[in-house]
Amino acid sequence: MRILLVEDDAEVARFVRKGLAEAGHNVEHAANGRDGLFLAASEPFDILVLDRMLPGGVDGVRLVETLRAQGNRTPVLFLSALSAVDERVKGLKAGGDDYLVKPFAFAELLARVEVLARRPTQEAPATRLRIADLEMDLLARSVTRAGKRIEIQPREFRLLEHLLRHAGQVVTRTMLLEKVWDYHFDPQTNVIDVHVSRLRQKIDKGFDKPLIHTVRNAGYMIRAEA
Amino acid sequence: MVRRMGRLQILALVLIAPAFAMGTEPVAQITTDSRDYCRELALRLASMPGATSEPARSLAEDGLRLCENGHPRSGVARLRRAIRAAQPEH
Amino acid sequence: MLRFLRSAGFRFALLFAGIFIGAAALFALVLWYATAGSLDRQTDASVRTDALGLIERWREAGPGAVAEAIADRLASDVEGTAIYLLLDSNGVRLAGNLDRWPAEASPDAPWSFGTVQREGNLIDARLHVLELGERYRLLVGRDVGEKQALRTLLAEGIAWAAVAASFVALVGAAVLRRAVEQRLRPAALTAQAIAAGDLSRRVPVSHRADEFDRLGESMNDMLDRIDRLMAGVRGVSDSIAHDLRTPIARARAKLEEALDGQAAPEALRAAMEQGIADLDHITRVFGALLRIAEAEAGARRAAFAPLDLVPLLAEVAEFYGAVAESGGQAIAIELPARLDVVGDRDLLAQAVGNLLDNALKFTPPGGRVRIAARAPARDRIDLVVEDTGPGLPAADRARAGERFFRADASRGTPGSGLGLSLVRAVAHLHGGDLLLEDAAPGAAQPGLRATIRLGIA
Repeated sequence: MRILLVEDDAEVARFVRKGLAEAGHNVEHAANGRDGLFLAASEPFDILVLDRMLPGGVDGVRLVETLRAQGNRTPVLFLSALSAVDERVKGLKAGGDDYLVKPFAFAELLARVEVLARRPTQEAPATRLRIADLEMDLLARSVTRAGKRIEIQPREFRLLEHLLRHAGQVVTRTMLLEKVWDYHFDPQTNVIDVHVSRLRQKIDKGFDKPLIHTVRNAGYMIRAEA
Repeated sequence: MVRRMGRLQILALVLIAPAFAMGTEPVAQITTDSRDYCRELALRLASMPGATSEPARSLAEDGLRLCENGHPRSGVARLRRAIRAAQPEH
Repeated sequence: MLRFLRSAGFRFALLFAGIFIGAAALFALVLWYATAGSLDRQTDASVRTDALGLIERWREAGPGAVAEAIADRLASDVEGTAIYLLLDSNGVRLAGNLDRWPAEASPDAPWSFGTVQREGNLIDARLHVLELGERYRLLVGRDVGEKQALRTLLAEGIAWAAVAASFVALVGAAVLRRAVEQRLRPAALTAQAIAAGDLSRRVPVSHRADEFDRLGESMNDMLDRIDRLMAGVRGVSDSIAHDLRTPIARARAKLEEALDGQAAPEALRAAMEQGIADLDHITRVFGALLRIAEAEAGARRAAFAPLDLVPLLAEVAEFYGAVAESGGQAIAIELPARLDVVGDRDLLAQAVGNLLDNALKFTPPGGRVRIAARAPARDRIDLVVEDTGPGLPAADRARAGERFFRADASRGTPGSGLGLSLVRAVAHLHGGDLLLEDAAPGAAQPGLRATIRLGIA
């Protein structure tokens, strides 16, 4: 994937760049908003990773607003040291798609970048999601594995749906918290782990090939092969 | 002696000077506060019909006496009141 | 001196003196117009009437008749103030009681004031000149010497009154200034003491309930608030010093140790992982602190929206319900059909989540946690989270909302000591408070009942 990173802190930029390159992505870097805007407007990227506050007169929010005004729909992930909810709302309102507060774990960044970049451009109204022998019917709100119906609660259904929509991608605990529960706070305990393990009990127990995998130091992933 | 005379002349000049400074003409004087005017009023009263009745007569007497004793203004005032009194009622 | 001039007390006093003197001056003016002015107007009116009569005589019968009329009028002028002089075309006196034409009277200015001599004294006279025609000139006047004396008397009286008024104005101003200063002194002294560093001082309030008392009260409210904030800041800095140093020191020690020895690669790796975990923990503590600060500063009121608490509570209960299940605990939910509030969904969810998390941590396996909500009054909603754990001793309950405070009993469990601080801050943000009490008073395991009391204003 082609990624544009606009970040003024050299150390953070180096670290992010190196990490994304190791994950197999092609990263362009701009150190200020003006250069970033120029690159973003003149070349195609799969995703933009922007610092919220940038030197050079064009900050992250302005950059996104300008791009969106030009009809550029490239997904945008904000990085910011500003954690206040207002700031987050401002970033998303301007046209950002996700917001990650510094300091962050690289795994968190990578997971969000991959999910965002591979996000279907249109929320296709798929009625069925499938992986291996697991099938989810979004209309009937039913789940079957190997033809066997699995009783599942509404919240677990949404959790599984989120994992399935991003099958093959790492989904972090924070992402699940934000996307499945719409909570933007620290739940103090490993509540997400408990919920995933409950789901796992229903989906994987009794089958020799588990589908939900734990990715160490990152989160979870649903995929067909072990 | 000569020097003394000179001083008096100077003093006189100082005293008179303001009168000259105020203008060439002396200040106009009211002539009705005089013994002459008393007599004029007395004559006028005498020609009036009610001159002998009271209180005009005694007021006139009073007035004339005041005029003779050197109080012409008061005397004139009495005589005028006497004339008023002597005038027939309108 | 300049400071004295700038004092508000002085300006009030000046204002008072100004208004007082202005009123006195207006009074004197009216008085003058009504007395001295009226005397002048009377004189002028009588002169005018006199002159009109004589002009009439002139028109009817000529100079001889005018002279006769003047003699008549002089003869019956009891007040002795009339002045007449009639001159013919050659300047020869025909009638009147002036020996010559006064210098001040000229036909160019028909009305004038002049000086005439009377029995050797100079007196003031009001003079009116009339041209009768055929170059005959008539002067009608009045001796205003007595009226002038009256005027002088009146002027003197007014001058004395002005002196008295000025004195009263100055004394009044001084009294007013002192009064203002005296009423402001307590507030000023308090402010000075506070500026000097004594934050415990408050403005004494006189219970007169006037403007000064209101000022004092608002000052005191402001000081209380500042005091609380200062205490909060002090608390945070103390706690940061104490509670954040420990994990930072631990992380540092581990990393240094790993760097130092000839540790095996696996050990090095483990040390670094632990170091990152410690840093993450510190980041989380910071995040929590910032969130509390955000709530306390009221900055999040912008995110307030009308919402129904019931589904919110049900969701949070379900969210933590999974944890309870895995710990062998049960969550009981008692909710009404609907509870409308205006608030911040995320913060309210986090606050209730924190209470549930706490309750689950301190409830033994097999225990029960109850979450309930009700509206006991029209403008009040109570959100209750109860557990069957060991509860909190009264002394700890009082401190439980403080940042980083952890009861001794909880030292063994994970947690930052910020959970209840956030709950309290959220309650305050929503115009309410956090109440802690025993769930089952007297029992061996009294449990803790935490109530978020929301005021719906």
